[in-house]
Amino acid sequence: MKYSYNWLREISGSKLSVEEVIQGITMHALEIEGVEKVGSDFENFMVGEILEISKHPNADKLQLTKINVGNKILDIVCGAKNISVGDKIPVALVGAKLPNGMEIKEAEIRGEKSFGMLCALDELGLGSDHAGILLLDKNLKVGTPLKEVLGEDDCILEIKVLPDRAHDAVGHVGLAREISALDGGTIEFDYDGLKLGKKKTSSLKVSLEHKNLCSRYIAAKLDNIKIEKSPQWLAARLGKCGIRSINNVVDVTNYVMLELGQPMHAFDFDEIATAEQVEIIVRSAKENEEITILDGSVKKMSGDDIVIASKGIVLALAGVMGGKETGVSEKTTSIVLEAATFAPALIRKTKNKFGLQTDAALRFEKGLDPNLAEKAMVRAIEILTHITDAKLDGIVEQYPAPVKPWNIKLDLNYANSLLGENVPTKVSQKILTSLGFKAKKAGKNLNVVVPTFRLDVQTQEDLIEEIGRVYGYDKIVPTAQLISIKPPAVNEQRVFVRKVKNVLVGQGFSEVYNYAFYSQKDSENARLQNFKHLELEAPGNLEQTILRVSLIPNLLKNVSENLKFAKELHLFEIGKVFLPGENILPTEKNMFCAMLVLENKASKKNGQNNLQQTAFFQAKAFAADLLLQLGIADHYFATFEEGFEQISKSFCHEGRASEIRITGSNDAVGCLAEINPTMLADFDINSRVVFFEFEMKGLQAVSTAEREFKAIAKFPNVLRDVSMVVSDGRRIDEILSLIQTEGGDLIVDVDLFDIFDFADGTSSYAFHVIFNAEDRTLTTQEADSVMEKIISKLESELKVQIRK
Amino acid sequence: MLKEKIEKIKEEALAETENAKTAEEVLQLEIQFLGRKSEFVGILRQLKDVSPEEKKEVGQLANAVKVEIQTLLDQKKKNLASTFDAKAEKIDVTVPASKLRRGHLHLLTQIQNEIEDIFTSMGFEIADGPEVEDEFHNFDALNMPKDHPARDMQDTFWLKSQTGADETRTKTDNPDERMVLRTHTSNVQIRYMEKHQPPFRIIAPGRIYRNEASDSTHEHTFHQFEALVVGDDINVGNFKFVAQQFFSKFFKKEIKVRIRPSYFPFTEPSFEFDISCTVCGGKGCSACKNAGWLEIGGAGMVNQNVFVAAGYPRGKYQGFAWGFGLERLAMMKYKISDIRLFHSGDLRFIKQF
Repeated sequence: MKYSYNWLREISGSKLSVEEVIQGITMHALEIEGVEKVGSDFENFMVGEILEISKHPNADKLQLTKINVGNKILDIVCGAKNISVGDKIPVALVGAKLPNGMEIKEAEIRGEKSFGMLCALDELGLGSDHAGILLLDKNLKVGTPLKEVLGEDDCILEIKVLPDRAHDAVGHVGLAREISALDGGTIEFDYDGLKLGKKKTSSLKVSLEHKNLCSRYIAAKLDNIKIEKSPQWLAARLGKCGIRSINNVVDVTNYVMLELGQPMHAFDFDEIATAEQVEIIVRSAKENEEITILDGSVKKMSGDDIVIASKGIVLALAGVMGGKETGVSEKTTSIVLEAATFAPALIRKTKNKFGLQTDAALRFEKGLDPNLAEKAMVRAIEILTHITDAKLDGIVEQYPAPVKPWNIKLDLNYANSLLGENVPTKVSQKILTSLGFKAKKAGKNLNVVVPTFRLDVQTQEDLIEEIGRVYGYDKIVPTAQLISIKPPAVNEQRVFVRKVKNVLVGQGFSEVYNYAFYSQKDSENARLQNFKHLELEAPGNLEQTILRVSLIPNLLKNVSENLKFAKELHLFEIGKVFLPGENILPTEKNMFCAMLVLENKASKKNGQNNLQQTAFFQAKAFAADLLLQLGIADHYFATFEEGFEQISKSFCHEGRASEIRITGSNDAVGCLAEINPTMLADFDINSRVVFFEFEMKGLQAVSTAEREFKAIAKFPNVLRDVSMVVSDGRRIDEILSLIQTEGGDLIVDVDLFDIFDFADGTSSYAFHVIFNAEDRTLTTQEADSVMEKIISKLESELKVQIRK
Repeated sequence: MLKEKIEKIKEEALAETENAKTAEEVLQLEIQFLGRKSEFVGILRQLKDVSPEEKKEVGQLANAVKVEIQTLLDQKKKNLASTFDAKAEKIDVTVPASKLRRGHLHLLTQIQNEIEDIFTSMGFEIADGPEVEDEFHNFDALNMPKDHPARDMQDTFWLKSQTGADETRTKTDNPDERMVLRTHTSNVQIRYMEKHQPPFRIIAPGRIYRNEASDSTHEHTFHQFEALVVGDDINVGNFKFVAQQFFSKFFKKEIKVRIRPSYFPFTEPSFEFDISCTVCGGKGCSACKNAGWLEIGGAGMVNQNVFVAAGYPRGKYQGFAWGFGLERLAMMKYKISDIRLFHSGDLRFIKQF
């Protein structure tokens, strides 16, 4: 909303400078979004009269003019077409400085000399209108300094009015009241004293279909109307506040809207009258009823729209826009002025449905004080009859449930307790009074009467805010509260998440954040189309239409993008996935997923085994280390069965997938797998990708921070090696577990230290078996006899061929 | 005679050991003088043939000599082992070291950790809530009017019903049954208050969603931090104190907090709050556009309607709530020009922090 500083000063009677007003409004009332200086002192600008206009000999678009500026006649070249001989126009003489900084000099334009410039409104810094040269009142005296015509320079404040003040602070009066309060004063003019005259007219009737559509409707008929340009001061004020001047009647309705915040409308009486009478009805539109509105478009309405109608003709889309045929025009001689209060929710619906962000709709949709309509009507009539020869015929209104001021009992102790500041009662009273409230002291309370223009003030806290802000939040001293020294409860989930992240970072992985959405296409690319996803009702774009059920699709996109700049990747994410279920809200699971890509190095087929160099086994090492650091020692990597999130299974390379399980638990806590290579092309990735994934809650449940000291071995280890040839299909964990079981407590570790794959599909494995006893030095014989047992079991049970 | 032989061996052994140049030589000398086949051991073997007196005397001498030679040999071994040729072993110290792979926490995680730690040190508990929320907890309970523009489709991501076929669920008017992606972390306030009684102080950090077109300064997905303190007599001064403490710790310099009137449905009175410019300290510079202040977030005293929605009696408690955006804080602190980088997954961004 744009406000003129001069206008505010006029209403408030305040002597505060622009800077003081800006500072005061910012700290005590509303946010100022911009400040713009307009106009200038107009030195070397005067009123001129056009004596001659002729064609420029060398330029089709230019004209030569002779201008009388009183003491001399000037030749000026001009491009505008809206001028004619006899017009009075603003002239910038040589030496004049335009508000935009340009200085007018003697010039030669296409061979013709020019000694000045005829000005449009925007060139004078009075708005954005560049429609043509500003045509001034023909009665002005030639040579009058322009400053006397256009008034002083001004400052336009662009102010953000929040919804709670949209019903009063959108008018200059509302803001002026705030400025007065900064000074401790009140605005001088008694707007509340503006009461409708008693004069009725038989030419007008008003009825309301229902008071829920419109709480008040005032109509006034004015005759002897002559549609003309507005006086310059009026047009200038509108211009400064961003409204284009149209004609005297429309301008007055807009002027009142800027002054008070009440939108108004003017109908041409003769266009809407039947037999010299107008019977206005405010009603709901009928289904599919149509209206051609001011902008020329036809709107098909429904029961949610409010219309102004008369004798079956729809005159206006109430509170939003008038009808094309019923507004004022050059032929208009009588008008019906409307000041009404429409139902905000309905106006908002209509505004949104038709996309009509009109000044009126934007105000009505926030809700207005019905008593404002009265003040506005009185002001509009006053101004119109003052600036034109219009005559008031009479006023009629419907106001079924008049709104009266209401009372709030304010507990002053509560006010001080909430603010944390002892505001003296007298000060509180003065603040409320200057804002237009009545505040009477009654013991520890203030009995406050709230004026109807402050719809937002309904509770004690609302009053406390009024007192606090005007008093000055700056004066409130930061104070520590008295609190218990009890330490806060620890959020174990967050602690755990942080721990996992730190381990991963220690392993050299980097953390990414992805959106919680992806597209239908992404879900197909990730083979997830068969899983139910939550869908957005109105997605912002087609890339993000459904809520993720897995972190994998977006991580694969990260992999794809980052592979443009790197050959190897280590990244991870912890975030929520959303799984639709039985309840209204979905199940939110916090998931962890890490992805690993290693550079494709040439691998040797057969002979030297490269299994352990692959990303899979590196990832396995990271996963196992993570689990160990989380205190999950008893985990193992099993072949994939029906355990962990079934969703994850859809991404897996069938031959390279593993479930991560905990001894003694039925459910898997995670999985480790290579991404199904057929998916990679869809994500534009040409390296193999391995991921490991955990559900955080499940992982946390088996994680333990507890550690128990284990005595350091006192006696030396005994080491034995065993190597064997194994046929295809035999898994290493079977061999390891057999060695462990047979060796029992004497075996402290078994290390696979060599793998060799033969062309026939068999492999050679070699292990270090490390023996130790807690209470004695093991003898060679003891170790050998255990080894023999192990070897014979390996041969008999696992059918391996021991190499001796 | 034996004594003389021993003395002679001793002299030879000590002299030769002294002159030895390599560890190998020392080893040879050890074998030569003290080894099983050495003259010295030969002499000791002859001891059995001499008289007890001589045996005693020579034996003592032999022992002393053996210890003396052994000591010198050991000393020499140690000396030789710790010598090196610096010239021969010289390296070019400017050869670049191999690059270690280093992992990085996302910048937002780092900042969030920092903030959580400051608040935890001030006795705040960290509370969590769902990201997919029902309309009641996201809007109604926070005193947002039914026709509040924030509830519009253009501002909020509404979700279709889970059952797919039955799309009426999101069409229902029952705010317990309509789902949104939470538009703020304030839903956590309500969920926490439903389960806890004052006094308490909590923070609720988390991810939030707005149906906005994204550009360099706008995102549909971002992170918010929210603090809520409720007790019998919590006041505006307490808010200013906590905010000042927090920002001073966070920016590691003294920060002033300024509050200005504002409006939010869930607080009354409501404030915008600014902090003194972290660059110029309030004098005015390019970072604060010469204002001396930086706009940070919103705050206010909890609206009694919110307490009532959470199940507290009206008028019994007082509290303040405040929130701000993590991304904005990060962008300010690290001069990041595009908010979309946070969710880009681009490691070239992530690895800078």
